Amino acid sequence: MILEVEQLKKRFGNFVAVDDLSFSVQQGEVYGFLGQNGAGKSTTIRMLLSLITPTSGSIQLFGKSITEHREEILNQMGAVVEKPDLYKYLTGYENLSLFAKMSGKDISKEIINNTLALVGLEKRCHDPVRVYSQGMKQRLGIAVALVHDPAFIILDEPTNGLDPQGIADIRNLILYLSKERKKTVLVSSHLLSEIEQVADSMLIINKGKKIVEGRVNELLNPNHVRLEITVDDDQKAKQLIENTSWSKGLKNAPDGKLIVETEAQAIGQLNKLLVESNINVTSLRSMNSLEAYFLSLTTGNEV
Amino acid sequence: MKFSTIVYLELYKIFRKPRTYIAFGAIAAIVGLIQLGFYADGKNYMQFGLQSFTDSFDINGNIMNGYLMAYIILQLMLVHVPLLIALVAGDMISGEAAQGTLRVLLTKPISRAKLIAGKFSATAIYTIALLIWMAIWALGISMIVFGIDDMLILKSDLVTQIVKTDILWRYAAAFGFAALAMTTVAAMSFFLSLFAENSIGPIMATMSIIIVFTILNTLDLPIFDKVKPFLFTSHMLGWKGFFDVQINENNEQIVGSIENLPAVMISGGILLLHIIGFLIASVVVFRRKDVLS
Repeated sequence: MILEVEQLKKRFGNFVAVDDLSFSVQQGEVYGFLGQNGAGKSTTIRMLLSLITPTSGSIQLFGKSITEHREEILNQMGAVVEKPDLYKYLTGYENLSLFAKMSGKDISKEIINNTLALVGLEKRCHDPVRVYSQGMKQRLGIAVALVHDPAFIILDEPTNGLDPQGIADIRNLILYLSKERKKTVLVSSHLLSEIEQVADSMLIINKGKKIVEGRVNELLNPNHVRLEITVDDDQKAKQLIENTSWSKGLKNAPDGKLIVETEAQAIGQLNKLLVESNINVTSLRSMNSLEAYFLSLTTGNEV
Repeated sequence: MKFSTIVYLELYKIFRKPRTYIAFGAIAAIVGLIQLGFYADGKNYMQFGLQSFTDSFDINGNIMNGYLMAYIILQLMLVHVPLLIALVAGDMISGEAAQGTLRVLLTKPISRAKLIAGKFSATAIYTIALLIWMAIWALGISMIVFGIDDMLILKSDLVTQIVKTDILWRYAAAFGFAALAMTTVAAMSFFLSLFAENSIGPIMATMSIIIVFTILNTLDLPIFDKVKPFLFTSHMLGWKGFFDVQINENNEQIVGSIENLPAVMISGGILLLHIIGFLIASVVVFRRKDVLS
């Protein structure tokens, strides 16, 4: 296991940014870290990198505590935290060279050039960073994270501000790092569609708390659907479902609606049950994409 | 990672920033203007200054020489140089926080204490480089333009004459002391930069503290007398002590002498203690600092 977080908490005054968060990342996987803006993703990542001190809880990286073995652990990590801010008065090459030296490793010019080529900046690397587009800065930030060949890479919202081609490039880069270079990658985003395409496992947090953690293919199981049913009498419908085998899949929902998690083939049977019980079903929407799942969880409809 | 590498990289960053050269340019411009002014009208100025002495003494030689020019420039400039020091020192941490590079730096495997020590060392080197630059202009160029001779220092009730063969080492010591004084300013500005996310705050705070302390020094009120010896501003002009000479029974200068060496040493020691204090405080604060920028 590369990363193990237990009961992590960060409080800023009275505001709890991260609350009792526990999760783990296995070696070699791409781990998606999802949450809406302000959910606590960046605060968690800052704690993983010891940029900020947790109020309580523990972080083990490579089997060691980050607070006690900070430099040893950071030597094996690369990260882009939020915006890829770099020295604007230096060129891309100079920035990368400077941060390569900061890593404490003997990094040759060839490695620097290869890293720039990997992120597609080899032709513009001698331009000052102040003239770079957001996408170029993002790619240079990733190069800074990769140049010392870390085993574990953290990318915090790496597609922020990028155009569709830039987003696709970053996605392909993450997959390349994972599949070809055998790196472990933790990638955060507020866009499920991005994580869906690259991650093996994922964690969703909301208001600093863990909502769900699991394998992406399990959470995306097409046979397991989430039904949003609009009825004329939700109380009667709820009582009816509570007396069936669907009761364990019944979730909290706004007035007039029911949310039921069930097998895809049971949709017709459930509809039939409601109609035969004189409950008027005005709409029945099946959500089997991770995005619908994410939205429903983070808008507070979870039981 | 080697400490020398951190210092090298920090110096590299300092000297790649355009703002760094503002200080070098300002010193060259101000010193040049003073030299131009004295070159054009210095003789009249000196005649006016020595008016009360020329009735009793016959003063010959190159009075308006390079050594005296350097002394005048040092007196005028060292009050304003702290602003130029704070321009860079106040930006060392706050500037990194403002542009977001502080968090990138701290994701690298460098201890926070080492990083702070490296950054401070680079700041101190910049400060010393600025003083060397000032010495080149104030002393070197003045010696070339105005020539050399014995140095007359005018004080309110006396004139000190230092023979020309006994002056250069005094300037080396004076600039060394000035470097210590300016490093104290740099250390304070550096410490203040830990608490800000742009460099304006630390620069303004540094200048405000210096102004307030200087006012306290000049106020002749008993309530402030107890704190005055501990204010670093009370000791920043200690370099002048190297130009106070001992005299023999014939009222002649004793070559190589300093009138009150212990006072100069105490001033230097107090400045050094301030530097160490600010550096330790910076390390302690920075090690606990949550990097939220």
